[in-house]
Amino acid sequence: MNPTITQPEARELKVNAPWRERVFPNNEWVLIVVILAECAVFSVTGNNFLSRDNAFEITRLSVEIGLLALALTPIIITSGIDLSVGSMMGLAAVVLGGLWRDAELPMPAAIALTLAVGALGGWLNALMITRLNFPPLIVTLGTFSLFRGVAEGLTRGIENYSGFSQGFLFLGQGYVGGLVPTQLFVLIAAAAACWWWLHRTPYGRSLYAIGFSGEGARYAGIPVRGRLTFIYVLSGLAASLAAVVYVAHLGQAKSDAGTGYELMAITAVVLGGASIFGGRGTVLGTMLGLFGIVILQNGLRLSAQPAELAGILTGVLLVATILLDRLSTRARSQPRAAHTHAEDFEVRNSQVAILSAVILLGAAIVAGSNWMLVRSVREHAAAGGVPSSPGAAGAPAGQPARGGRKSVVALMPKAKGDPYFVSCKAGADEAAKELGVELLWDGPTDLDPAKQNEVVEAWITRGVDAIAVSVENKVGISTVLRKARQRGIKVITWDADAEKDARDFFINQATPQGIGYTLMDEAARITGGKGDFAIITASLSAANQNEWIKYIKERLAEKYPEMKLVAVQPSEGDRDRAFSETQTVLKVYPTVKLVMAIAAPAVPGAAEAVKQSGRTDVKVTGLSLPNMCKPYIKEGVIESIVLWNTVDLGYLTVYASNALAAGQLKGGDAGLTAGRLGKIEVAGDEVRLGAPFIFNKENIDNFDF
Amino acid sequence: MNFGRYKRELSALLAYVALLLAVGVVAPSFFGAGNLRDMALNNAPVLLVAVGMTLVILVGEIDISVGSQFAVCSVAAGWMAKEGVPVALLLPAVILLGGLMGAVNGALVGYLRLPSIIVTLAMLVAWRDALRWTTQGAWVQNLPGNFQWFGLGQGVAQWLIVGGALAVLAAFSWMLRNLGAGRAVYAVGSDAEAARLAGIEPRRVVFGVFVLMGALTGLAALLNAVRFNAVPSNAGIGLELKAVAAVVVGGTAITGGRGTLVGTLIGAALLGTIGTALTFVGINPFWEKAIQGAIILAALVSDVALGHLDRVRAMGLTLGAARAK
Repeated sequence: MNPTITQPEARELKVNAPWRERVFPNNEWVLIVVILAECAVFSVTGNNFLSRDNAFEITRLSVEIGLLALALTPIIITSGIDLSVGSMMGLAAVVLGGLWRDAELPMPAAIALTLAVGALGGWLNALMITRLNFPPLIVTLGTFSLFRGVAEGLTRGIENYSGFSQGFLFLGQGYVGGLVPTQLFVLIAAAAACWWWLHRTPYGRSLYAIGFSGEGARYAGIPVRGRLTFIYVLSGLAASLAAVVYVAHLGQAKSDAGTGYELMAITAVVLGGASIFGGRGTVLGTMLGLFGIVILQNGLRLSAQPAELAGILTGVLLVATILLDRLSTRARSQPRAAHTHAEDFEVRNSQVAILSAVILLGAAIVAGSNWMLVRSVREHAAAGGVPSSPGAAGAPAGQPARGGRKSVVALMPKAKGDPYFVSCKAGADEAAKELGVELLWDGPTDLDPAKQNEVVEAWITRGVDAIAVSVENKVGISTVLRKARQRGIKVITWDADAEKDARDFFINQATPQGIGYTLMDEAARITGGKGDFAIITASLSAANQNEWIKYIKERLAEKYPEMKLVAVQPSEGDRDRAFSETQTVLKVYPTVKLVMAIAAPAVPGAAEAVKQSGRTDVKVTGLSLPNMCKPYIKEGVIESIVLWNTVDLGYLTVYASNALAAGQLKGGDAGLTAGRLGKIEVAGDEVRLGAPFIFNKENIDNFDF
Repeated sequence: MNFGRYKRELSALLAYVALLLAVGVVAPSFFGAGNLRDMALNNAPVLLVAVGMTLVILVGEIDISVGSQFAVCSVAAGWMAKEGVPVALLLPAVILLGGLMGAVNGALVGYLRLPSIIVTLAMLVAWRDALRWTTQGAWVQNLPGNFQWFGLGQGVAQWLIVGGALAVLAAFSWMLRNLGAGRAVYAVGSDAEAARLAGIEPRRVVFGVFVLMGALTGLAALLNAVRFNAVPSNAGIGLELKAVAAVVVGGTAITGGRGTLVGTLIGAALLGTIGTALTFVGINPFWEKAIQGAIILAALVSDVALGHLDRVRAMGLTLGAARAK
């Protein structure tokens, strides 16, 4: 071999290579082993994991990310990257919504234009990468901000397009032949086309050449710029197609669509054996990587394991696969320096064997501990009566809890890590213990409407007695909640409501109107009804906060003509950001006498900023948790905070869910007895916790959450 | 001073000056002492992380796990303080913890030669979820009174934080230029094989750089945490993008081997100013992200306008072009 060429490995070209090497040039078979191991483990630990419905449900959830991953495969093969795909989804979603609703275009035309916008965005990336020769990482980092920013700017973050026609929603929610999710065909078609294009055409092959050596490919007569332009345009196109599917899936279009999807997609591609340095990667690998991740998430959910394990295991899996690959490649091409590529099969095989043994052992340990955990949980349950498993085939999920069988109540917060919901969980745990029900607590780790749907789907598959959801996204989640009801599962919404026909009861702690009005009244009381004030919100596209702001403004216009709202600044739910935004607001608007922070972490951030500025004439109020604000309330920086007893909210939700599942709570009831809370008012289909409460210096010490 | 050495940082500097001039015309109050101090204080942690990121990018690697490491270090600092660890010991302890997390990255990238973007992508997810699992989202509250500002009082401590960050920057800048180890960073980033032949151990350099990155992240996390009296469990989300953007806008080549910390300082200052400046000018925050993206791209394009095609060429057509050699 020619010693001057350092990367002549193009292994796939070896027509005589053994079949395994041709089908799995990058050891993708490892992923098959991993997926089989996952399936084996989860079929033991999970409820209804190995069912036809669940198999199709998994594929439905992987379509959007799958499309992005397919588009990223050729890009990564050319040693490029595209971080902007998730943001492009957000932009494409609002463009689609805007064209359809505001420009009143027919849906096909709106979709066509949306795809064109996606291609245009991809072309912008391509232009800077190929014509100006900027590194793709940096260009797409820039457009990552740019696309999302334009989407937010266009919609002011608030606009949420919904009310799409049934025909369009069928694309994202329907079943072909009553079984196969519609969008699966999109993914299959895309994967097949991508496979053919990448692995069976000279065009696709040339991308590998570009990945090995861009300069070399150019000398070989490959139009490198043209090809790169094409794949980036294709990536924009795929992102906008994913956005169309996403919108149809959730039934709504908002600027936050696809947040964080780029990382999931890149993970899938890399897990699938593609090399970030270019020249390697297959469509088959990408698909296997995708399913490896998605099955892991789904399986953990059905096994009622903490969702955080998914992240940790994905990380481990990612490092393990590339490590295995690295070692086997190294064994193959020893000695490295000489680049002789002695095909030392004996060494490689033994190495691979040892490594796969190690990985299998690792998987077995994980599986074993998993199994033990679940078994202990079940034994625990069995000790309380009849075994808790609803049974795979016969007894469907939604049977009301009877007699001794422990009923399963599933509670979902908007975001798991949010301190607000952490305090709700404390109450929920307390109630579950008192009632002896099994409580599942799961949800997105960050605000993510798509993830909420995913969790509900998993619960339907798993089989629970009652589902209680704090709804991030009214339109999006209602479809899947209706499906749960059809399957006989009792559905409750708490904290924030879904559409009325999608749930049995709503645990109403406060309406958006009540919150907005109370906040505004409190602000007026503190300032004496005069002067300027500013709002620090969560993110600019946060649905709840935007609704509260709407009512705050309404109340302001109606009752307090001498007060003026001068600024609404975002905090992204980050205390430190709320801190710096408040600092800036105080300087830019020196007349501001009150800062109203309407996200739990933002209130202490704003208070610290006011405190450090030494401005004793400025007060803080808002919506937050007592413990977080206690020091500031005692110091007098925060005048008061508005909230309800979140621990009681969690407590009541579990009581209501359990009563509903057991048939003790029906429409038309006037009241519900909920443990230590006593008799709770029920009005129509709402369970009322009571009006918002104002915490201040006098009463704050009575609360600990 | 040899100005030519810094011509690559010029475009970021010009963009920065232009931004300051524009803000100065529209809202002169931007240059109030209080505002400048607050901005310096708020951006000091990002600057420290960006210093580490500069080293990592100089050796031709990348670390996108810093945001998660930052969160782990913040929470650990809070826990230790609550357990009664003296404030003076927090600093070495948190730096050590950060260094350890950096060492994991360093060992996988340096010694096992795994691609850094994958390793740190895995760590980004793994550390973040591990932290979520352990804290369950709860904040660390009721910290001892001497946690905030190290018990030194706001006036002293805030200058200490800004001064400390700048001192670290100056020290690393000096070391990169004048010490053998610093030159080795450039050598490895330019051509690892050539560096090896010249007697440098590239694996050790890469490992060391990741350890430093982790340690600086730990330091940044602590300096950020002591500004408050409680530690949230979700700190540092998106920090990696801020740091990488600051480094690259500051003129450091993403392919390694070229760049200075002076550039990183300018890049961090530029990106840290935009958000505040927009509020002062009165631009609706809805457009903030879009403008930020546009400025990153504009800094790149201005490079071309300034005729620095040599740099652009050297960056190569694609991310991995330099590695493929």
